[in-house]
Amino acid sequence: MLSLTLQKIKQDMFQEKNQILWNKKIGPSYYRIGIKCHRGYSDAQPGQFIMLGFGDQTAPLLRRPFSIHRLVTTDSHGQGVEILYKIVGTCTKKLSFYKKGDIIGVLGPLGSHFLIPDTIGRIFMVAGGVGIAPMVFLASSLQKKGVDLSKCMVFNGGRSKDDLLCGDHFFTLGMSVNTTTDDGSAGKKGFVTDIVSAAIKEHRPDMIYACGPTPMLKAVTQMTEIYAVPCQVSIETMMACGMGACLGCAVESRKDSDRYFHACADGPVFNASILKI
Amino acid sequence: MQRENKKLCQDQSEGVSTFNFPPYKFRLAFMKHPDLQVNIGGIKLKNPVMTASGTFGYGREFEDLVDLNRVGAIIVKGLSLAPSKGNPPPRIAETPCGMLNAIGLENVGIEAFEKEKLPFLEKLSTPVLANIYGKNIGEYAKLAERIDQIEGISGIEINISCPNVKSGGIAFGVDGGVANEVVRAVRNRTGKPLMVKLSPNVTDITEIALSVEDAGADSLSLINTITGMAIDIETRHPKLANITGGLSGPAIRPVALRMVWQVVQCVKIPVIGIGGIMTADDALEFLIAGAAAVQIGTANFVNPRATTDIIEGIEAFLAKREIPSVTNIIGTLEV
Repeated sequence: MLSLTLQKIKQDMFQEKNQILWNKKIGPSYYRIGIKCHRGYSDAQPGQFIMLGFGDQTAPLLRRPFSIHRLVTTDSHGQGVEILYKIVGTCTKKLSFYKKGDIIGVLGPLGSHFLIPDTIGRIFMVAGGVGIAPMVFLASSLQKKGVDLSKCMVFNGGRSKDDLLCGDHFFTLGMSVNTTTDDGSAGKKGFVTDIVSAAIKEHRPDMIYACGPTPMLKAVTQMTEIYAVPCQVSIETMMACGMGACLGCAVESRKDSDRYFHACADGPVFNASILKI
Repeated sequence: MQRENKKLCQDQSEGVSTFNFPPYKFRLAFMKHPDLQVNIGGIKLKNPVMTASGTFGYGREFEDLVDLNRVGAIIVKGLSLAPSKGNPPPRIAETPCGMLNAIGLENVGIEAFEKEKLPFLEKLSTPVLANIYGKNIGEYAKLAERIDQIEGISGIEINISCPNVKSGGIAFGVDGGVANEVVRAVRNRTGKPLMVKLSPNVTDITEIALSVEDAGADSLSLINTITGMAIDIETRHPKLANITGGLSGPAIRPVALRMVWQVVQCVKIPVIGIGGIMTADDALEFLIAGAAAVQIGTANFVNPRATTDIIEGIEAFLAKREIPSVTNIIGTLEV
């Protein structure tokens, strides 16, 4: 069983100006951006994030957090990270205009990460929309750790078929991929949590990893409590600094009403049982 | 540039003057470093750039990225007698060229600060100032009494201006009489240098400044955040759970500069400029307006190395113009 809070190993963070390796459109509003990072990222773990800065120090003012989608380690590109993002506002719109060779401010790697217990059999990954991003990194870590991925299942929900990403990737790794859409344009019509509960009854997992919108995380948390399955969630909040200084990213704790957790320093990955979502 | 180079070459020792000088960055290496030291109401600083309370944690958060010994002074997150949980989320929202926050003074409390946070800070050569706030005058006095006994703290910044805590904060800073009482109470309990942080949310900031000076403050820091608000038009909810919050960042810089300029003209004690300083150029505006030093706040969130970048920028500015000391530029506004 996991300890109450996911312990973060003391790890160096870096503030750098880095080169964009690629910025590819992969769907109507989804992109994958590769960013060269000079050092430190080989120790990055799935669930951790980076803060990207957009340059001119006025508007947009603050950096924005993005979870690491993949580590880049090819010979031709050197070391770096890949981010999967969706255009949702000014910053992501701006990000979509960046070209190969452009420079972007990167702060990271930041935050806690998904914890993989030493003995683990079946794993469920539950993701809503762009919440699938860190799961790709997680799957590669599981594979490196020798976890039998053929017993692991991915549950991916989106508004429509355009919001279902990376399915082929998990399929190639031997994982079974189950999808839902709100409009029924792909997979089963409905919420992703509907198919998760049925699957838990059938093949009880040893661990559930979840990332997505808050209502989804709430539903997953409730479900894992009913069936007593350990669950780790990656949450998203507004944050200014990403490194525990602004205290803007407060998250309510279930056990300690005298203090808040902070998504950047205590999270973004939490044991679901300690959060009040 | 040519003329400047010539002049510089004459100043240099032999041997150096024989070759054609490349631009100024290279020249810097041969020049005497400008003197950046300032004295702020009894606190000696190696340079006039401090970190603003609430934007730099307890210092350690930045150790990977910033040479903390280079910083002029570290002002830690506002401390209260007991630990404080702060406001419910959401606590921050970005607005044009700025951000709103309603953190609500979340902090570990003076006891945990002394035990857990201060030992790290004490190892630095940088002076540490404790920012304090109380719910009533008695709490300010108790905090002052306690901090007076702590050797590792070089001075106290009294927060009479936080706009978020309903039970206190704002009430002290907007009334000259009450502000005077708070500062007097703290003054009576400690011999440590006292800096008082002023709220901009008043009709006449000079009135408060004079009242606080009269109460025995050694310096003034201004401005704290300007009360503001933002609404999500889809949900029709305020963007902050606290409804209103404090606006900071470049959006408030002109207001801050105006207030610093006004206060500098009416008080005798040093004034520290705060408000949306992102670059050395911004800091220099405040120094020219008469601020004896500056604090860097929101910029730390955007660029964790903002403080040291600004120090280097000020040094380069002075070196380029062959101004020997930063004090030569303070209050040199020409109108």
